[in-house]
Amino acid sequence: MFSDILLTIITMAFALMVVFSKKTVVSALALLMTMLSIAMIYFQLGTVFLAAIQVLVNAGAIAILFVFVMMLINLEQFENNREKGKVKLVISVLAILVIMGVFALIINNNIEVLTANNIPDNSMKLLFDKLFSVYYLPFEMATVLLLAAIVACIVITGHEKAHKVELEESHE
Amino acid sequence: MLEGILEILIKTVVILGIPLGALPIIIHVERRGAGFIQRRLGPNRVGPFGLLQPLADVAKFMFKEEVHPTHVRPFFYSLAPLVALTVALLPLACIPIMAPLEISGRTIYPEVFRSDMGIFYAFAVSALGSYGILLGGWASNNKFSMLGALRACAQMVSYELSLSTSIVAMIFLYGTNDIHVMVTAQTGYWFGFLPKWGFFIQPLAAMLFLVGIFAESNRLPFDLAEGESEIVAGYHLEYSSMKFAIFFMAEYIHMIALSALFIILFFGGYSILPGLDMIPQSPIITPILQMGSLTIKIAMMIWFFVWVRWTLPRFRYDQLMDIGWQRLLPLGIINLIATVLITYFRNQ
Repeated sequence: MFSDILLTIITMAFALMVVFSKKTVVSALALLMTMLSIAMIYFQLGTVFLAAIQVLVNAGAIAILFVFVMMLINLEQFENNREKGKVKLVISVLAILVIMGVFALIINNNIEVLTANNIPDNSMKLLFDKLFSVYYLPFEMATVLLLAAIVACIVITGHEKAHKVELEESHE
Repeated sequence: MLEGILEILIKTVVILGIPLGALPIIIHVERRGAGFIQRRLGPNRVGPFGLLQPLADVAKFMFKEEVHPTHVRPFFYSLAPLVALTVALLPLACIPIMAPLEISGRTIYPEVFRSDMGIFYAFAVSALGSYGILLGGWASNNKFSMLGALRACAQMVSYELSLSTSIVAMIFLYGTNDIHVMVTAQTGYWFGFLPKWGFFIQPLAAMLFLVGIFAESNRLPFDLAEGESEIVAGYHLEYSSMKFAIFFMAEYIHMIALSALFIILFFGGYSILPGLDMIPQSPIITPILQMGSLTIKIAMMIWFFVWVRWTLPRFRYDQLMDIGWQRLLPLGIINLIATVLITYFRNQ
């Protein structure tokens, strides 16, 4: 019980650090620590597989890309160039609404919450049984969403590149 | 409760003590091996055969002045070596050095962290290995260090892909994530003489994994992170005395841990070497033989590392990326698909 509370506090502290830290690299490292703390929570619940996947994918691959890029482009010169005023307010309100919506969904629908006591031994089999039957549609939708995000990235950066080339040509 | 804590403490001390204690010997073998391969003597002055040279080195590192450059980011500069060493030690927690022991009706597992996801755990935590280097390079606030760290990081992330394809292929083959089951599956012989090692079923996966180890532990021919002809010493350029020594230790321990994983997947882990199994088995002799077999296998891997280090020249960076993404990754994916199909149809 005590360790649960401690882990929650650590996770929340790092998550807040991601948002409020002034230095971008520190934010990225705090994100990594958040991922690792979440893995620790999974581990505490007894799902070693999920914890390992969390470490492998989120901490080992995704967070490293963030840290890598932050260190590479050295964002320190843009430190004060953050979203300010109205934009920040709108984003905060939206974020709080989303979080409250998720909580409302969980409370209303009585979604079965896994605790350390009701996880069966073979957590890997259970996980994939659920993932490829009940949660198949959300799972596939998540992949489509990721694909859309990748295409969007390429479109946005590609457009900028084309624009830059045009500018350079006009200079010549 | 107390018994359990004591058990874990003893295991931790043993599992951490063996590699840390073996480090000076490995470093000595590395330097003497370099001398042997380059037809010179190597360090042979301190003690018999120069065996005390590592101790002298440690004393030197301890008493050397620690230069703390003023332009670094102090907190992360001190943190980086610790992160590197801790992360390198983590995978050792689930590597068994012998079969589970039955003592007075209780099964005692030889690894600190007993889980049926052992191989996943080890691989997941060894994927964090690049953070220490990245942090060190960035905290040094120096262009050479930063370049070295970025190179190391990009290299590790790229080669992790082919490494993971070979691990997943082996998991499919054995049908389990449990290290003990994997090792049991590799005990015994085919046709009476060929050991049932994973290497003989999956030579391609073994090759991918082997190349992956070299890249992951930043050893020659993949030591681009410290390519001294281009970027001085890379990520540990600004580090001196014990902080540098800790980075050095982390690299060697990473190497030991990955070698142990390689041996578990492809060379039968702690299963007794052919020849040694002629010795009559008993509850006391068998664990000793198993530990001995694992030690011999890891020692041969380390010698292989040394051998390759002083034989092959360093790759260029573009060649490194070509090998990783255009050669090894497609090979790994083909191998994985073939393994999955064969396993599927065999189980039908």
